[in-house]
Amino acid sequence: MFALIKREIQDHLVYFIAAAVFSALLVLVLVEAVFKYDSRNPPVISISLGVAFAAIVTLGICGMGASQMYLDKSRRISAFLSTLPVSRSRILLARITAGILAILILLVPLAITAIFLLRLFTPPIPLYSGMVWEIFTATFLLALACYCIGLQTGWNSSAITPSLGGLGLTCIFVPLVVVKGLGPEIMVILASFIAASLFRTWHNFSSTSL
Amino acid sequence: MNENVIQVENLVKYYDGRCVLDGIDFAVPRGCIYGLLGRNGAGKTTIIRILLGLEPPTRGRTTLLEADSTSLPAKIRGRIGCVAEGHNLIQSYKVSRLIRLCKDLSLQWNDELFNRLIETFRLPADRRVRELSIGMRAQLNLSLAMAIDPELLILDDPTLGLDTVARRQFLELAIDIIQKQGRTILFCSHILSDVERIADRIGILAAGKLVVDCPLEQLKERVRKLRVIFPEAAPANLYLTEIVNQQIEGREMVITVANWNSQKQAILETFKPSSCTEIPMSLEDIFIECTRPSAEPLEVA
Repeated sequence: MFALIKREIQDHLVYFIAAAVFSALLVLVLVEAVFKYDSRNPPVISISLGVAFAAIVTLGICGMGASQMYLDKSRRISAFLSTLPVSRSRILLARITAGILAILILLVPLAITAIFLLRLFTPPIPLYSGMVWEIFTATFLLALACYCIGLQTGWNSSAITPSLGGLGLTCIFVPLVVVKGLGPEIMVILASFIAASLFRTWHNFSSTSL
Repeated sequence: MNENVIQVENLVKYYDGRCVLDGIDFAVPRGCIYGLLGRNGAGKTTIIRILLGLEPPTRGRTTLLEADSTSLPAKIRGRIGCVAEGHNLIQSYKVSRLIRLCKDLSLQWNDELFNRLIETFRLPADRRVRELSIGMRAQLNLSLAMAIDPELLILDDPTLGLDTVARRQFLELAIDIIQKQGRTILFCSHILSDVERIADRIGILAAGKLVVDCPLEQLKERVRKLRVIFPEAAPANLYLTEIVNQQIEGREMVITVANWNSQKQAILETFKPSSCTEIPMSLEDIFIECTRPSAEPLEVA
């Protein structure tokens, strides 16, 4: 299993490097925004940069999933791996694990920075630590949902409808989170979507010809 | 314990409504080298892909080492070596990386044999797979398949695209390895001389059916091609069963008959032919007769 995860990371190293770079940039933006925060004169540039980075990151995560599946299909990687003592479920599990690792590389430094900043600038009440945990979980689920859309789109890249459907779903999820906020309701919606999407990906991947 | 390493039962496969395999049944016993023959598009690769679980069958059941092909566990996969048609290795990898990956994923790895093969083939470890010639890719694929000491080796047209010298070198090494280690081998090819050199049992696929499934020697012995001259015009029907092919020209008739025996000889003699001579047949001749579009379905078993 470790060899498969290592293979996925090495093959998509650019996404891991990009995740680390974007994470560092987002941390910088976050720190700058907090330190320069002025309720009468909010740091518009920092907030705009943060939103732009978040949009790029969302598309990047979606792109990673799509790239993993598309390259597998076009280079017939799983067809080769399946002749070795590896099951298709393991190949997919290793792929998803690599995807989750990339998301964590992106989000964990942000979460740590957020906790640190909250400790510095807010009174020590449980409300704030709970809030960070909630935001982190919901953001992680949102990123994972985008990644799942990417997996589906990459595997069905030859068909237009699923590809457009994937793009459409991404366009629905992000505004939904903006409107509803990163609360428990959105977590339930995202978790249900991720479960359904992963099941569908696993079913497609394990039942079609390689 | 079942002695059949490969078991195919009533295998049917449809592609876009077109029947590619129509009720294939065969078994490969332990230690046997089975040559699966067929013209291009006959379904050889489809059978192998179904056996390896890369393709779902429409109907029927296939087992490898007593495990169902559709859900081969990793333990069983680890006992099967495979050289695929076109050598579908990961093209973007360097040879050294591909070797490391295969080694990491394998359940067992014979370093001594693998290093010997790599040295013999002089494979460059620092080049990408896509930069290798087809011959080198074939050699790398065979080396990787052999390194796991497989109980079952599946070779799908391994010499496809190789020049005569590379093909000869590849086969000689394959034969050398096979003879030393007594494995079960399923060997698919449409290069009949290759199959004739190594196979001890033959299956011939034609029009989605397995028209021949028997030991090579038996096949050569039991399929006869006869030139029969009659005193007058040759009869339209000899009332013989299992005629694979029949050509009539005036007094002369050339027939290919399966399962030739004294009974069939006696029936032929009732027509009082002036002469009856046997035309020697190689495996290639038998294959051509069996896969002719006009050929009658033949069951040599």
